[in-house]
Amino acid sequence: MTRRQAPTDAGQAFADALAAEYAAIFAYGPIGVRLTGAARRDARSAEAAHRARRDALVLQLTTGGGQVPADKAGYALPYPVTDRAAALRLAIEVEERTAAYWRAALPVTTGADRTRALNALTDCAVRAARWRRAAGVDPVTVAFPGRPD
Amino acid sequence: MVLTCPVATGRWTANDGGPGRTRRALLRTGALLAVGGTAAPLTGCDLFDGDEPPPPDPLEPLAAEARELAARHRAAIAADPGLADRLTPIADAHAAHADEIHRLIGRPAPSGSPGPQPTAGDRAGLLAGLREAEQRGRQAAAKACAEAPGERAALLGSVTAARATHVEALK
Repeated sequence: MTRRQAPTDAGQAFADALAAEYAAIFAYGPIGVRLTGAARRDARSAEAAHRARRDALVLQLTTGGGQVPADKAGYALPYPVTDRAAALRLAIEVEERTAAYWRAALPVTTGADRTRALNALTDCAVRAARWRRAAGVDPVTVAFPGRPD
Repeated sequence: MVLTCPVATGRWTANDGGPGRTRRALLRTGALLAVGGTAAPLTGCDLFDGDEPPPPDPLEPLAAEARELAARHRAAIAADPGLADRLTPIADAHAAHADEIHRLIGRPAPSGSPGPQPTAGDRAGLLAGLREAEQRGRQAAAKACAEAPGERAALLGSVTAARATHVEALK
């Protein structure tokens, strides 16, 4: 999920967002394995939310005649997820990075497409805040969710 | 505008010699000028047109709301200092939002702070009030984001998402 250039149109922005959603869904596999109880349930529901975004994007890009990037068999994780702490750290990162892709879609979309991107950005930001709280990260919020550093 | 034009009134007083008539005549003249609006004798007022304030930017209310939300959190901290750790980052975020929105607008924030903020009730009541304010703020920011030109949408998206995370952090 390395940052690419800012998208110049809605099709490119959504294709980028789809690639990010694929990677997020993949990452929640190893994340969920290292969590228990409420955190594991949260990971499952986060994964389901990313799957729903993925499905909506595939449908939208397909019907729009745009390029639909293919899912990969695996994605390189930034570090091995060997325990709960690493799982929570990765979950925060997954949401922050995915938020950045959705934010990048805002300038090149209008109307319902922009609302969709804004809702996705907001959902990622809220999940990131929940993961920060679960991980004991303080503060749990950031001033500008999705903004590149 | 009419009264700032000495050119027009000055001419009338100079031509009007009779004592006792001057005042009434002037009043009538003023009324006529007011009705006439920007008639020919007023062209001298063009001099002052540069002082007209620029039209308000559609993002002004959102910036004002950000300053108000920051003040509201700070007022809650003053009422219950035990909330400082939790609310200070949120207050700072709202202040940062206001600064960034004003950067987009291209004008600095007006001087003066928002008025006193509601701080009634115990801690639960304070937090509930803040959550409600953040929720309203989120909706306002989402509307602004939807209506904004592309170059403003990313910042407004971050403001919207941040306010949503504040609701979460205040639970």
